[in-house]
Amino acid sequence: MLIVNPTFGLAAAAGPTVALKPINWATDAIALMSNSKPNARELLEGVKAKLGAFRNVDNIEFHAKNSASQAAPKELIQAVAGKYRAALLALGD
Amino acid sequence: MTDIAEQEVIDIGDMDVETFNEFATQQGWSDGMPLFVPTEAKVAKFVETVRGDNRPYSPVPPRQIVPTIQAMAANAVMAGCKPEYFPVVTAAMRSVLEPDFNLHGTLATTHSCAPMVMISGPIRKELNVNCSSNCFGQGWQANATIGRALGLMLLNIAGAKPGEMDRSTQGNPAKFTFCFGENEEENPWTPYHVQRGFKPTDNVVTVMSGEGPHNLNDHGSTTGDGLLTTFAGGMATPGANTVYGKGPSFIIIGPEHAATLKRDGFTIETIREELWQRSRIHISRVSKGNLDTYASTGHEPEGDYLRIGRSPQDLHITVAGGPGKHSAFIPSFGGTMVACTRIQ
Amino acid sequence: MIATETFKPLVLAQAKARKIEPKLIVVKHPVGGLNAEELRERIETATQGLLEATKK
Repeated sequence: MLIVNPTFGLAAAAGPTVALKPINWATDAIALMSNSKPNARELLEGVKAKLGAFRNVDNIEFHAKNSASQAAPKELIQAVAGKYRAALLALGD
Repeated sequence: MTDIAEQEVIDIGDMDVETFNEFATQQGWSDGMPLFVPTEAKVAKFVETVRGDNRPYSPVPPRQIVPTIQAMAANAVMAGCKPEYFPVVTAAMRSVLEPDFNLHGTLATTHSCAPMVMISGPIRKELNVNCSSNCFGQGWQANATIGRALGLMLLNIAGAKPGEMDRSTQGNPAKFTFCFGENEEENPWTPYHVQRGFKPTDNVVTVMSGEGPHNLNDHGSTTGDGLLTTFAGGMATPGANTVYGKGPSFIIIGPEHAATLKRDGFTIETIREELWQRSRIHISRVSKGNLDTYASTGHEPEGDYLRIGRSPQDLHITVAGGPGKHSAFIPSFGGTMVACTRIQ
Repeated sequence: MIATETFKPLVLAQAKARKIEPKLIVVKHPVGGLNAEELRERIETATQGLLEATKK
């Protein structure tokens, strides 16, 4: 019996490929990206404080989506991508 | 879900309905209820009903694939739809793909939201959509299967598998199906789709990612003003996402309540304004922890009150249901929109 | 990316859909609703995970 696959779909057009530059986690600026859920900021700030024992943390900066339920605005993603070589994201609940 | 998505047509050999249902469950295609078999022949009948509608579909998040008409029709067949329901199903799919609907967020959230589907226009009668008594409930094939078809498409095409991509903490019975028609015949004001700029003769599907209906029982009030006090009290709920999500909500007024409000001179606009003013939530009803969390994401109280939306326009009002002194409040996921699509 | 263990399947499924391989640090679930004392363990795990993942 032939049936139509209810999960079938066509691949969406792929986005541009981005070449990643090497990251020096000991010195490079890092963005802490919160999903804006409760305690995400506290978790990321706690990690930042602990990293202080290993590296300069003045260039580790906090960012957050303005809504936990919506995607981060493109402007925020572009700004973070333009300024930082690395980002640490908090995802969960 | 076994990854056989590369093939649009699959040869499953000889299977009876029971064996097919076991197979479909193994594949992760089922919502737990029995499915009809999406044979090529049945699917073709559905596809025929949307022939000529060549507008493209966007990729469907979270899975990020572009749906084909055949795959959508397969889900509508499995749901138990009649072929003539399929243009409504595809219109519902177009609605949830509106960018501001935030399909990704509404499917991956821990919130209990489910896609509420409301049908407006003459097609309600043509398809025998229940708009009256028990319209949110069981008993009508169109209501039951159109809502179910959308749910199956979100499972199978979008990939919203419970416990994996669908992270809802408790879910919601409305995830099986939540579809009803406006009771335009007993709406003393303007039908919802006309409020949104469509013609009365247009057939329109409206979708919002919402909770199930919260009943608003008022047998005692004899005035419209009294009814609005009850409605606003029921809407001022600190546990709804709309407290901080600041998104839309629906107030579905029962015909008897609507008649009383109309008699007392209320319009859709004045009802909306009154409910906006009266449904504020006093901060004494909200924990300090929650208030701090809301403030940290920019949702500060106005004085001593939280609003349940961004403006009165977040309150969407229409009439549905049958005889009785009940109405319903349906708060949304929050970060979403009420999306309308004309049925082709 | 720091994810709670409960959300790991979501992250992996999303990553598969986008054809990327996330660098994942998994901590116990939940993070929300914890007091400062309870959160300390998550911070420690996340920091150790980050140091491990980045020392190469």
